[in-house]
Amino acid sequence: MPTDDQHSYMPQLLTQYRGGRINRREFLRTATLLGASAAAAYGMAGAIDGIVAPAFAQEAKPKGGTLRLETTVYDVKSPAIANTTAHPWIYSQVVEYLTVIGSDNVTRPHLLESWQPSEDLKTWTLVLRPGVKWHSGRDFTVDDVIWNLTRLLSDEVGSSMLGLMKSYMLNEVDTGQTDENGQPVIGHELWSPDAIERVDDRTVRLNLKEPQLAIPEHLNHYQAVMLDPDQDGVFDVGANGTGAFTLVEIEPGRRAVIEAVADYWGEGPYLDRVEFIDLGGGDQAILNALISGQVHGAFQVQPEFSSILEQQKHLKLHDVTTADTAISRMNVRQKPFDDPRVRKAFRLAVDPVKASAVTFGPFATPSEHHHVAPIHPEYAKLPEWKQDIGAARALLAEAGYGDGLEVELVIQKDPAHHLRNATAIQEMLKEAGVTCNINVMPNAQYWDVWTTVPFGSTVWAHRPLAVINLGLAYRSGGAWNESGYANPEFDRLLTEAESMPDPEIRRGKMAEIEALLQEDGPIVQTYWRKLLTFYDVRVIGFEMHPTYALFANKLALGA
Amino acid sequence: MARIVLNRLGQFAVILLIASFLLFAVTEFSPGNVASKILGPYALESQVRALSDRLGLDDPLLIRYLRWLGMLVGLVPNELGGPATGLGLSDPRGAQYFGNFGFSLMQGRPILDVLADRFGHTVTLTVWAIGLTVPISLCLGVLAGMTQGSLLDRIISVATVSLTSLPEFVVAVLLIFVFAASLGWLPGTSPLDPGDRWSVASQLVLPVAVLVIASSAYVTRIVRSSVVDTLAQPFVRTARLKGLAPMRVALLHVLRNAMIAPVTVILLQINWILTGVVVVEAIFAYPGIGRLMLEAALFGDIYLIQALTLIALSVAVTTQFLGDLAYVLLDPRIRVA
Amino acid sequence: MTAGANRTAKPARTGLLARLRGSRLLRSRSATVGLAILIFWLVVAIGAPWIAPYDPTAIDFAASADPSPSAAHWLGTDVLGRDLLSRIIFGARTTFLVIPLSVFSAFLVGAVAGMAGAWYGGWTDTILARAGDVMLAFPALVLYIILITTFGPSLWNIVIAVTLTYAPGVARLMRGQVLAVKGLEYVLAARAAGESPIYIMAAEILPNVGTPLIVDLCLRTGYAVILVGTLGFLGLGLPPPTPDWGGMVVEGVNLMTIYPHIALLPAAAVTSVVVACNLLADGFRETAR
Repeated sequence: MPTDDQHSYMPQLLTQYRGGRINRREFLRTATLLGASAAAAYGMAGAIDGIVAPAFAQEAKPKGGTLRLETTVYDVKSPAIANTTAHPWIYSQVVEYLTVIGSDNVTRPHLLESWQPSEDLKTWTLVLRPGVKWHSGRDFTVDDVIWNLTRLLSDEVGSSMLGLMKSYMLNEVDTGQTDENGQPVIGHELWSPDAIERVDDRTVRLNLKEPQLAIPEHLNHYQAVMLDPDQDGVFDVGANGTGAFTLVEIEPGRRAVIEAVADYWGEGPYLDRVEFIDLGGGDQAILNALISGQVHGAFQVQPEFSSILEQQKHLKLHDVTTADTAISRMNVRQKPFDDPRVRKAFRLAVDPVKASAVTFGPFATPSEHHHVAPIHPEYAKLPEWKQDIGAARALLAEAGYGDGLEVELVIQKDPAHHLRNATAIQEMLKEAGVTCNINVMPNAQYWDVWTTVPFGSTVWAHRPLAVINLGLAYRSGGAWNESGYANPEFDRLLTEAESMPDPEIRRGKMAEIEALLQEDGPIVQTYWRKLLTFYDVRVIGFEMHPTYALFANKLALGA
Repeated sequence: MARIVLNRLGQFAVILLIASFLLFAVTEFSPGNVASKILGPYALESQVRALSDRLGLDDPLLIRYLRWLGMLVGLVPNELGGPATGLGLSDPRGAQYFGNFGFSLMQGRPILDVLADRFGHTVTLTVWAIGLTVPISLCLGVLAGMTQGSLLDRIISVATVSLTSLPEFVVAVLLIFVFAASLGWLPGTSPLDPGDRWSVASQLVLPVAVLVIASSAYVTRIVRSSVVDTLAQPFVRTARLKGLAPMRVALLHVLRNAMIAPVTVILLQINWILTGVVVVEAIFAYPGIGRLMLEAALFGDIYLIQALTLIALSVAVTTQFLGDLAYVLLDPRIRVA
Repeated sequence: MTAGANRTAKPARTGLLARLRGSRLLRSRSATVGLAILIFWLVVAIGAPWIAPYDPTAIDFAASADPSPSAAHWLGTDVLGRDLLSRIIFGARTTFLVIPLSVFSAFLVGAVAGMAGAWYGGWTDTILARAGDVMLAFPALVLYIILITTFGPSLWNIVIAVTLTYAPGVARLMRGQVLAVKGLEYVLAARAAGESPIYIMAAEILPNVGTPLIVDLCLRTGYAVILVGTLGFLGLGLPPPTPDWGGMVVEGVNLMTIYPHIALLPAAAVTSVVVACNLLADGFRETAR
């Protein structure tokens, strides 16, 4: 099975799996990350464990029909600045990603045929899938890829890809301008003219400033769809794409309609038409629409409704375990959280098991205040986290807050589980002598203060590797470092972990990182959510995805 | 008469202008930076600043109000739609026309288009609600008032007191629980999108019912007390003594005189229904301006909030004006309110 | 909003206190019932810390799995395992703090403006009346939504919002009432005696324009309960974990089909207060005749 062009680490990986030192999921993840196709990875695993790979062959699905799905219909004219996971529900059916993270948390090439990292993880060779055509009939080429990547990384476009890739693709430059406060305006440029290198008609190479493990995952960042350069980055009705559908109608806040195109290069499409219906995002409305059969499925359903919907014979529950969570992060630049003793006291006061149970019941697992989930391949199990009110009080007293402390926890209004989680935290902090007031903000307003409030609860979406989140959130100067956390020791450990493709060695490093975060880190974290939704039993081919992704081309409507 | 009308009209125009400025000033305090709302949470500061500059968000309040007003009447072009902002916003009518409210940041399209879509739905809802409320409450109110003290009167009174005490959201929740969730006779939401199972008409039933229940109870009470008061007037007693049949008395004298108060109330009711409309549209996911208002306020889409409040104000001011007018017309004794 | 009803009501002949002393009000059955309900809730609100079996914000982690009524929690708990009875009892506190504060603030502002307008007339009157028209032009809930989403949900912002929306109506009513009695003999007599306008208004006019005002007060209190409940329902109510009946309804609405008590009990509490206010208004109206 091993071939010449496979990554040099692959034999070791196979040995580890054979020896039972890593589990099946970790093997599949790492093998695909190192450039093996998903089918090959499943094949290699099957050769060892005897488990038959999931059927890659397409089962016969009925053709035709119109599916009606509930989702918030946003304006999606500019996918580069789409800022929710609901945006791509519409545009990613028309324009596509280079890679795709599946519902099984395994990343696969999509518009790419394969990728190949160098040993030092600083050079990534991306090979395009042959035979992919735009709806207009033109071939999908490497120039389209370069145009899109370059555009996403420019300041003017405003894409969060810039923050994601900044550390390894860009340099900061002084634009020479100053803002109203006299501060120089900082812009960005590719760190090297060869950063995005055209090799040939089908091959593009990314040359990185520093090693990066998660390139395939980053290429599936929800804004990174490949748009037709001729359309100037604008996505609208009739936009050119490579996907299985074309957009025929969109009215933000109300509905959007996509229709199947002929000759799609991949699986499907089976449906003629998908209608996305906006119900204002109200939980109650979604529930009522599902019960009344006004939609075949919903973007997501909050766990508190599952027991009601399970009584409905025409609906079926779909759920998936994820690393989706809310982090109650403490801004270390602000009092009282500049004192690590206060941060640790907060963690000691909060029992994630209780908080998780009242917030989600069976639809979550407790977390351990370190933002690494059991489903992450590099997860290291630490000794069980114990709530200790006495120790929390002692630490607070030591930090000078023996007479109590008053803080405000800022949370988002929707969905309601944020308030439940915050209330649980509030109650437990009360036992440690901390008065915690809850400030509920409309979701859009929260994002104005998320990097500045002293104590705020921020949603962190599922990402397939723990190091992706840790790098974005806690590295000194990290793009989305909302807590202002800056710990050289942490940075060093994380950088080391990121250059280790071997999940087993990385896990040793992760144990240190996790322990460090529990001791000194800026967060209180209580749960890992399951995401769930309900679909009509007639819908075939749906799987709940850990980042809500929808693959409409795989869906069909049975009798 | 014409002078009074013109005078009133002028006053209302001034009210509209002052109120719209006050609103504009309030939205000034709307938390958060518009540019960061457009770009979302993960944009870097440099990206947000670049967009802020292009949107001209840093100008003083009065300048922006005048620019907004100028844009509205078609004197000032809307800068947002150009390709320079890179937002993909475009308006087929051009940048300068009468009724240009600008772009909704939440929806990324001209507000006039957003309104064109939503406004009609709210009008439909309101027209049905008022169209049913008026005859129902007139009948019940007159019936109760004419038979004051009877069993019928008492039943109507108790029912209306109870119903006016029920908040709309409670009525809505109960109706959905009974007719959608339990019986399955009607759809539980009203996106006004014809699906396989529920026609658009069926989606209108519950929202209209909530509004009718909430407002007809109130109007019935007003009509009843107005009828009771009128019956006690000397001229009605005279008419009765003259031997006119009760029905004739009712139709000829009582109704006309009893209508003075209710007409103003019913017109004010439009304002009241607008309030109910927000609640009903939010609960039923009904795509009207009420739900839009709530969404815009929560998102902080200030251009849309400004447009919507201006419209709500215009509707309210117009109905007040009509109410005053009707009052003058119905009661010749009152010339100047 | 009650312009029609008030326009036909006649000014009271006797003061409020005298009428209460004579217990005429209590002869009205609707007033008695309304008063009883309000007094009941008032006692509950004042005595909440002693009556309530639990801390209203305390989470019973064990009970959250099944919120149904049990021996430990007579009315059950909400989804977080907080005792529902205790939350309703403490919710009465919230209601009886926010509502009277808002309504009295609205009446204070409205009554002063109305009296000033009627008394001084001329420009004062015109400016006050037009300012009132501006405020009345806003649909109440729309104004609330804008204010609350702009300035954030807090007790004082709710009070300000209610004051802004109710004061103009009160002012209009007050103005009409004062105009009606302004020319009456006893007022003219007081003016002739050289009494100050403030004294005349407080001592002579106010007690005699009482009834319509009190009827209006009762009705507006009822609306305020509904409006504050609606705000809570739309998620714009008081910041948690303050028990707030409207907010409690919306928390429970989602589970109506399984645990109807979570939504229905606070909804019933809201409704009972509104009914009581309406009944009291009826009672005052009856005794005024």
